[in-house]
Amino acid sequence: MPTTIQLFITCIIDTLYPEIGEAVVRVLERAGVRVEFPAQQTCCGQPAFNAGMRPQARRMAEHTIRVFESAPGPVIVPSGSCAAMIRHEYPELFAGDARWLPRAQALVERTYEFSEFLVDYLGVTDLGAHFPGPITYHSSCHLLRDLGVDRQPRTLLAAVHDAEFVELPHTEECCGFGGLFSLEHPEISAALLDRKIANLETSGSPVVVSCDAGCITNINGGLHRRVMPQRAMHIAEILAKFND
Amino acid sequence: MTDPFHTHIQSALANPNLQIALDANAEKRISARQVAFASLPEELPVMRRRAHTVRADVIANLDHYLEQFINRAQMNGVIVHRVVDATEANRVVLDITQCQSNRTIAKSKSMVSEEIALNPALEAAGYQVVETDLGEYIVQLRGEHPAHIITPAVHLRRSEVGQTFHDKLGIPLTDDIPTLTAVARRVLRQVFLDAGIGISGVNFGVAETGTYCLVTNEGNGRMVTTIPPVHIALMGMERLVPTLDDLALMLYLLPRSATGQKLSVYTSLIHSPRRVGELDGAQERHLIILDNGRTAMRNSPLAEALYCIRCGSCLNACPVFREIGGHAYVSKQGIGSPYPGPIGSVVSAGLFSQQEFGQLARASSLCGACMEACPVEINLPKLLLRVRAGGLNLTPQRANLNIPKPVSLGLRLFTWFAENGWRFTIAQKAAGIGSRLISPFSTWLRLPAFTGWGFSKDMPRPVVDRFRDRWRKSSRSNKLGHEIRIFENTIHSDPLRSFEKIPEGDRPLNSTHATLINSDNRPALITQFAEELTALGGKFYACTEADLGQHIQDLLSESGIHEIHAWDRAFFPPGLLEILVEGGIDIHHTPSPTLKAGLTGCLAGIAETGTLVLPGGPGHPLTASLLPEIHIAVLRSGDILATLPQVFKLGEVREAASISLITGPSRTADIEMTLTIGVHGPREVYVFCLV
Repeated sequence: MPTTIQLFITCIIDTLYPEIGEAVVRVLERAGVRVEFPAQQTCCGQPAFNAGMRPQARRMAEHTIRVFESAPGPVIVPSGSCAAMIRHEYPELFAGDARWLPRAQALVERTYEFSEFLVDYLGVTDLGAHFPGPITYHSSCHLLRDLGVDRQPRTLLAAVHDAEFVELPHTEECCGFGGLFSLEHPEISAALLDRKIANLETSGSPVVVSCDAGCITNINGGLHRRVMPQRAMHIAEILAKFND
Repeated sequence: MTDPFHTHIQSALANPNLQIALDANAEKRISARQVAFASLPEELPVMRRRAHTVRADVIANLDHYLEQFINRAQMNGVIVHRVVDATEANRVVLDITQCQSNRTIAKSKSMVSEEIALNPALEAAGYQVVETDLGEYIVQLRGEHPAHIITPAVHLRRSEVGQTFHDKLGIPLTDDIPTLTAVARRVLRQVFLDAGIGISGVNFGVAETGTYCLVTNEGNGRMVTTIPPVHIALMGMERLVPTLDDLALMLYLLPRSATGQKLSVYTSLIHSPRRVGELDGAQERHLIILDNGRTAMRNSPLAEALYCIRCGSCLNACPVFREIGGHAYVSKQGIGSPYPGPIGSVVSAGLFSQQEFGQLARASSLCGACMEACPVEINLPKLLLRVRAGGLNLTPQRANLNIPKPVSLGLRLFTWFAENGWRFTIAQKAAGIGSRLISPFSTWLRLPAFTGWGFSKDMPRPVVDRFRDRWRKSSRSNKLGHEIRIFENTIHSDPLRSFEKIPEGDRPLNSTHATLINSDNRPALITQFAEELTALGGKFYACTEADLGQHIQDLLSESGIHEIHAWDRAFFPPGLLEILVEGGIDIHHTPSPTLKAGLTGCLAGIAETGTLVLPGGPGHPLTASLLPEIHIAVLRSGDILATLPQVFKLGEVREAASISLITGPSRTADIEMTLTIGVHGPREVYVFCLV
């Protein structure tokens, strides 16, 4: 029997990037996994949590816990900060709550970020993807520092056929997204984004890969405003480029 | 309605000098820290975790450690004052100063003094307070507050400092950093000598011994604690470590994190006031231990912020601090916090006012660079999020003090949709269709700048055909007979690569320690000591007892020096001072600011850092290694120990009134991070090692 997983597609990918969602499914299925999608899913609650609105964050977190409780197997999240929200902030959100904390903990224990799941859980490194030309990698902050996921996406990208991996200078620096931060402090966010885009130009790569849809939205939004040719892509979009 | 925080952010971003200065700070400090960590005796994560555990234990059992520390300090002869708040702290300082006729106060860096606004209180009472740390002195001359907890003048470029010195001190306009530093040395030297009172901060208090430790590079910390007859030290009540061993651990991490040094030039351990027979050191030592909100913070979700050892590395690592600098961290009233950056955003809200400073924690992308940089592993993003959620009490009422109205309204609405699957899908559809009305011909939305997002970037247009729609369609087509392809046999599983995590503990330790402790490795220790000292600009000579006198005499005559301040003869090889006298050198045993060279012995040397360990005491005054421009030290090779913790085990270190650990010549990097040698202490350090 193949592993059955529950896909938590995240509200950003669902609403803005259905093609990334499709790529995620394609890659997971290619890796031999049976994908299920609980239709009642919405948002993990991170925007409200980061805003300091914990009661609201809790309502979304409770909804998410309920939705996935009835769906067995690993929960795969193709966005680093949403996975980090569940893994690190749900226990904080439900701390001291005898009823909800165990339920949150149960979800925490079966939640994986997409690249982490492929490499660490499935042991997959090469799915036969072809992507000719240079690629570089932006190590999204929550993914890198909260989840400690860095080796996994790099391993997957290293195995992409015909791709020429170049290092992004200062890859570990924030792109300036930070969720609501980019709305509340647009000038600082813009300064950080300028730096990220300058580093992308220095790298010479037309494509920067990320495992976080927030970073992708931020970087692509900045590139589009500046009428620049580079593009941020989700790692699944690269990995899904295989010949059937 | 203008928001002072926002105004400060905008003006910082529009200030090209500031941007250059902040970039230089970030780049130099981050790389220096990384280089310095490579020389730790153990893996950084291991030492960080241990430091975290030590600080967590102190904060959890603070009452116990404070009682122990205060008892010991009092037994050592220190007058201890516990104060509740800023007002009481300032009153205690004024009570002490009023007993002195001398109205000049020499002050070394103390963030607590900034916190309680001590300078204005003293100045209002008619005292002349002079900041003696170069960076602090610069900002004081300019009428500013420090822009960084370690590098007060981080926001200035050399030309601005030159202009300030020209305007305030009347020197010819120059932007030459050594010249500016020399001017500060000259002016402030007189302040040290004239002052009746020295005021300093405290980096660590050691509970088991009642020691308090001060870490400085320029030598001003040593001056204010040694020259004026009265010394007042200010410390936050949380700044304790249980033992000298724990202090050594902190000293491995603090200078490396703060300035990229293995050890700061001067590490002072103070136990007691001047004792009978001693020629220097303050005769009266007061220690003021400040609460000012720390107890409340300790009993709150922000307690972990009290683990902070004030290294400033989170400021250097923070991409937001790099853009806006320390002066931008202001309250709603526009009043600057003494504590900027990530830790400052937590501490300011926790200690001072959630209402006034809670907004600072919102100026973070939560990227976690601060947490990664923190040597005591404080989870700063978690604390910033707790400040956003209310700070000392995680209540919506307190959180709402700082949540902008549009954000609050928007998220309430979003939550109402997102807590229900059906409502959410309707909202998504509405967004997809609505955005087509705004932007019918492009898949991008160009939002106006006031939305925040539109300030610097475009927004992809929400789709109508969402992922969930596509999923449903594919599932539906599946039901119509198309099978979902399951590639059961295509898993490229490589068992060697899966779950391969190298346990941290299994890595070989970089154990200079073990090897050096366990074997008599004398030549290696001497070599290491010499290399470390030389790298810092010190001079190392190995010689025999028989040659020593001639070598020192040659050195003095090359420098044109005919009189020196020397320790008593008992601390040198027999006959040394006699040889010098015969060679025409006048030997003085009492401190004097006119003497150009000081000759001292050493209790020990530390090989891993090139450090000299000098206890003060009768016949061996610390001023001989502080006031002169040239410090000549005689070190027996047998006294070179491998590591700092070994030195802390020496009985003398626990017994002397005060001890100075000297690591190279006096230095500063307060102007543009540019290393400049010879600020307040000696600019030349010669070590004659007897082999």
